[in-house]
This record gives sequence, C-alpha cells and structure tokens, in this order.
Amino acid sequence: MIRSVNPLAQETRYELIGRVLRQNILSGVLPEGFVLLEGPIATVMQTSRVPVQSALRQLMEEGLVHRFDGRGYLVGWGGADVVPIRRDIRDFDLEVPQVVDEALQTRGTWRHVYDKVEEEVASCQIFGEFRIVETELADHLGVSRTVVRDVLARLQERGLVRKSPSSHWIAGPLTARTVSEKFELRGIVEPAALRLAGPHIRYVEVEALLDRSGTDPGITPQYLGDALLELCIAQAPNTALVEMIRSNRLLLSAVDRALILLGLPRDEDTVEQYQMLLDLIAHHPIDSACEYLRYHLSITARRYLARMKIVAVIDETGSFAPYLSAQ
Amino acid sequence: MTDAGQTELSSPPIVPQRKLRVLGTSITLIAPVREQAQSDLGFDIVFDQKDFLPCQRWAAMEPESYDIYEQCFHNLDIVWFWGALQPIDIGRIREWDEVSDLVKLGGVSKYAGRGRGDAPAKKLYVQPGGFLGSKPSRHISMLPTVHNMDSFGYDVRIFGEGPDVRPSWAWLLDRRAKGRIALVDEPAIGFFDAALAAEAAGELEFADIGNMTIDEINALMKLLEDRRAEGYFCATWRDGVDAALLADQGAVAVQSMWSPVYGKLRKAWPHFVESAPSEGYRAWHGGASLSRHLRGAELDMAYEYLNWWLSGYAGAVMARQGYYISNPQKAREWLAQEEWNYWYEGAPAARDLAGPDGEVAVRAGARRAGGTYLDRGRRIVIWNTVMDEYNYAARAWERFVRRVNEAAAA
Repeated sequence: MIRSVNPLAQETRYELIGRVLRQNILSGVLPEGFVLLEGPIATVMQTSRVPVQSALRQLMEEGLVHRFDGRGYLVGWGGADVVPIRRDIRDFDLEVPQVVDEALQTRGTWRHVYDKVEEEVASCQIFGEFRIVETELADHLGVSRTVVRDVLARLQERGLVRKSPSSHWIAGPLTARTVSEKFELRGIVEPAALRLAGPHIRYVEVEALLDRSGTDPGITPQYLGDALLELCIAQAPNTALVEMIRSNRLLLSAVDRALILLGLPRDEDTVEQYQMLLDLIAHHPIDSACEYLRYHLSITARRYLARMKIVAVIDETGSFAPYLSAQ
Repeated sequence: MTDAGQTELSSPPIVPQRKLRVLGTSITLIAPVREQAQSDLGFDIVFDQKDFLPCQRWAAMEPESYDIYEQCFHNLDIVWFWGALQPIDIGRIREWDEVSDLVKLGGVSKYAGRGRGDAPAKKLYVQPGGFLGSKPSRHISMLPTVHNMDSFGYDVRIFGEGPDVRPSWAWLLDRRAKGRIALVDEPAIGFFDAALAAEAAGELEFADIGNMTIDEINALMKLLEDRRAEGYFCATWRDGVDAALLADQGAVAVQSMWSPVYGKLRKAWPHFVESAPSEGYRAWHGGASLSRHLRGAELDMAYEYLNWWLSGYAGAVMARQGYYISNPQKAREWLAQEEWNYWYEGAPAARDLAGPDGEVAVRAGARRAGGTYLDRGRRIVIWNTVMDEYNYAARAWERFVRRVNEAAAA
C-alpha cells in the first residue's frame, strides 16, 4: 500500500471542506446568519460545487447551518430574528489548517483515495465476484472519472481487478487456486529474499520485538507478519524482488483482515511460529531461518485454505462498499 | 444463634438444575434421543436444531451458546479452524476401542475402497499445530456416531425393476426423467450427486471428484445449467419432508434421497424405491464435538453425553431411520432381532418395522437396497465434502438452485 504521511489524505474532498467550514463556524469567524453560497466556497476551496453541496448538507444534518427562503444556507440554528448577512466569504479571514490545505491540494490525484479503495476491493474478493462501476465509484469518492480510472489502472496493475470481455471492471473471486499459487510463490521468493537480506536485517529491532512478543497481548500474528516483512525480508537489496513480495501478499493480507473483522480468533500456533522464526533470524545462521520460513508458509497455506471455507456459510450481503456489486 | 437466624435457615436450599445445550441438525436432534438421554443422565438437555449451513455458521461464531455440536466430519473444517471447538480425549470415551474401522482407518475393512473427498478418517485425529488428520493421536476432533451411504430414489415405473435393472447416478440426468428430477440443495451433498451423475453419464470426468478444480466446477455447473434450461429439473429440497412430498405428489421420477424419507412415503409407495447405484455410494459421517468454553463440571457432563451416545440406545434410534452407528454391536442390544436383520444384515423384514416415531417405516417382506452394512460400506466412492474450492462451488451451486426454484415457482 502507499501510505501517505498526511493524516487527512484519505478524507474525501467534501469531508475536508466540511472540516474547514465547521471549524470556522464554531470559532465564530463565520457569524450566525452568514449566507453560505456554493459558488464562492467552491472558488475559495479550488474545487467544483458538488463536494461543497455535500459538505453543506452534512453541516445541516449536524445542525450547524440551516435552509432559509433565499439561496444558500444560513449559519446557525436560525430563527425569526436572524438577519441574513450577505457578504463575500473572501472578506472573512477563513482559518484553513495547513494539513487540510495540503490534503486539498492533492485532491486531484488518485493517491488520496487509493488505499481505502484497495482495501475494500481486495477484502471483498473472498466473498465472490464483484463488478465495479466507474461512475458509482466516482460518486462514492466524490472525485472525477479521470481519478477513478487512475485508481482502477493501479488496481489492475497490482492484479486486484481485471476487465471482463464486455469491458466491465471485475474483482475476484478469490479461489483456493489463487491462494495456493500465492503461497507457493511466497515459499519460493520470501526465503530467497530473507537470505539476501541477511546482512541488512534490523537486528536490534528484531530482538526488541522478540522480547515484547512473549508478554504484549497486542502483538497479533498479523503484526508479527508485517514486522517480519519490514524488519527482515524487505531489507533485501533488490527492490524488484521486494516489490513482488509486497504485491503478492496484498490480497492475502486483506482477506486476513476481513476474516478478523468477522471474528476469527487469535491464533496462538501462528504466534509461536513467528517467535521461533524471529529467534532463528536473530541468533542462528540465516539458512535455518530460511528453511523454517518455508515450512511456516506451507503450514500457513493449509490453515488459510481451511479458514476460507467459512465464508460460504456467511451471509455478507450489504456489508460491501456501495460501488461493489456482487455478480 | 438468634431466633431470627434459625427462621432464615428453614428455607430449602436452591439447587439449579444442570443443563446441557446441544446444537445440531434434524439428523440427530430428535425427540426420542433427547428424552432418553435426559432420563438416563439426570440433567436437562436442550436441543437447538438448525438447518445445515446456519448450524455451521452458528457453531463457528457463537461457541459460547452451546456445549455440544452435532454435525458431520465433512464440514468440520469450517468450525474447527475458527477455533470454536476443543479436542476430545479418547481416554475418556469408554467405547472408543469398539468404534468402527470405517472412521478410524477409512474403510469398513482393510481392503474396502476408501472413497474420495472428506473421509472422516482424514479429519479425525488432532495433529500437531491443530491440524486434523488420520495419524492416530490421543485427541480427536469429533466423536464419530451416526453415518450412512446415500444414494438416489427412483420410480420403477420409469426405470424398471428386477435383477437386470442396474441403477446409475446417470439417471439424475436421464432423458426419461426430464422435468421430473430433483436434487438436495446442500453444496457439500447435492453438488456431488450431480457430479456423480455427470461422470456416470459420460458427460464429464474429474481428476479427483473429491477436490475439484475451478475448471471442473465450471464444467459441471455449465452442464447443470444447460440441462436446467432444457427443463430437466423440477425442484430442489432441503429437508426430508419436502423430499417425501415431491415423491408422494408424483412430481419426481428420480431424486436425491435420504434414508428416513423412504419410511415416510405414502402415495409413492411402493413404486418409488431406494437405489444401490452401480457406481457406488456417496457417504457421510456425523458425530459430536465439544465447545471450546467447556471446563470442569460442564466438561464432565458433556463427556457423559458423548459416552451415552455410544451406549446403544441412540444407535438403535438411528437404525430405525436407516442410519448406522459407529459401534453397531451396542445398538444391537437395543434392537429387536428383526430390526437388526433388516437394517444391518440386509435381510427381508420379518414383520412391519417402526421408525423412531413409532409409525410403520418398513413393510414386512421389504429388503434394503444394497444389502448388508458391510456390502454398502465397501462401495463408498465419495464422501460429502467441503472441497478446497468450496466457496466458489457453493456460490455457483446457489445460483443454479435459485434458477431451478424460480422456474419451479413460475
């Protein structure tokens, strides 16, 4: 995944606009009775009117603005004695936090929405085959069709969606065959990468993690899996190899997270295997760790396939993002 | 001690009645079993009966809500790998040595065929790392109890009768029965009736029918869809009552069947009969497992119940609905000689025989298709199975079933 440093990077444009207006209403910069008009707000925010409309509707639901007889919305709860203040919003010294400003500046690109879509598209696949309609995805995200196409192109590049013969975007289904193939690939490339990574592994952090993993209940199998990747395997001085490993894991990790959301209990056997693996990495020749990693992956594959079977008896209809339609 | 204190002591102590909660399906959760177990064991037994798939979902997701889970080995993966159950110590099962080789080794005898798919032996013993396998160990996943070899039922007026007639699974796709074919709607069961039919009819061939590939599943579903569009299938069913109704109404000439349903047939008797397919049987094996939360006295109670299941009475009740038990000799002590001879030995019924509800299920002179328990057990070709591609197959199956039922409703 492409993790952005901006904490607001994943917020949609209308959420960001709502954030700015809310803050300025609550702090009193925008006084009660001030008439909020879509056009001028869109100009200030350097956006189209659509997300401004959504933001204003959201603020109305929160009770911060209300409708009146004229065009636009009035700040405040309203009442007979409120006199509408009609002035250009640019006359007020709007407070726009820098982090929001930066997030707004990147709205035009696909990156700010990508992570969320990737997670939704990857994790749904265990539940079958889904079609993604471009316009619905654009509406859902409040972005243009161009941005949506960039997102879909990236998803396609990572093997998460494909085009059907009739040119529809299709995600899934995740089959046992796909899972087996992905684990087979992991069994080939991950031990190889671990061997290459040997001299570059962040040993101090591995030791620290080992110390904590016995006592800290917050350390889950998923956490350990990610740590093994970041501290050890991904240290291999071969970026193409590491990128391939990351891509190959993507779908598997997303499904793992989906199963945990369904209530998959913590798996102590896997925790123990990771501890053994980290211990081998930290204290023994790297070859033994590579061998154990291969064994660990073959066991994990079997467990993974068995766990996937539960999905057939679960009715998950209705819990997917609205742009995903089950086929 | 004060006078007031003595008065308070006079009220009797309240001892809560002990209670065991059993989650399962209509196969084993039947009234005579519960009543007798309750009377023999001296604690309350509450049955929570659900359809196959909801039962599995509930068992996996809500292990705190039950103590015993009664289901089948073939769908054990779903619940076991969700961590909802705890291993059973065979040292605490009195009848363990008497449990049959069908489940311990995979066949009724050393030389009998093993059957493809989820043979119970493959899921029986707990292996290192929490896996299930056939290598014996101290702990098992599920106590094997009731089982059977299933086939299909057919109308002799369409397919004929007598020694020359050799029933084949292919009949489930037979032109003679077009428009009068029904399948059981369960993706680990009916799916294999259809798969056996496709192979027997020479339409398809599977490298391993017990673990089909995506391409093989697609090919099977295409065949079924083509036949559906031509009007071959009239219905699907989920429980025995519906299956009996379809036969009694004359709606089907051939369909998936479960043993107890034959005893319920009225108008369809005697022309709608059980087959002994020339290709062999599709078998299943049920059992009882322990919920993961059980400890101490509750766990002891659960073991008492497991042991009770193999003490004979339950095996006899199961026999009267056409099912076998994993330690038949104990059940025999609770069966009349005529019952034993008919159900286990394949002999003609010496008199009318009653089902578990007391109603006549077998008429005098009738003979069970397929012969003795051993003869039937030797001819298992596939077990009910939750394959690796189960998610994919189950969804495809569901779409097929929906279309059959929509057409039937229209």
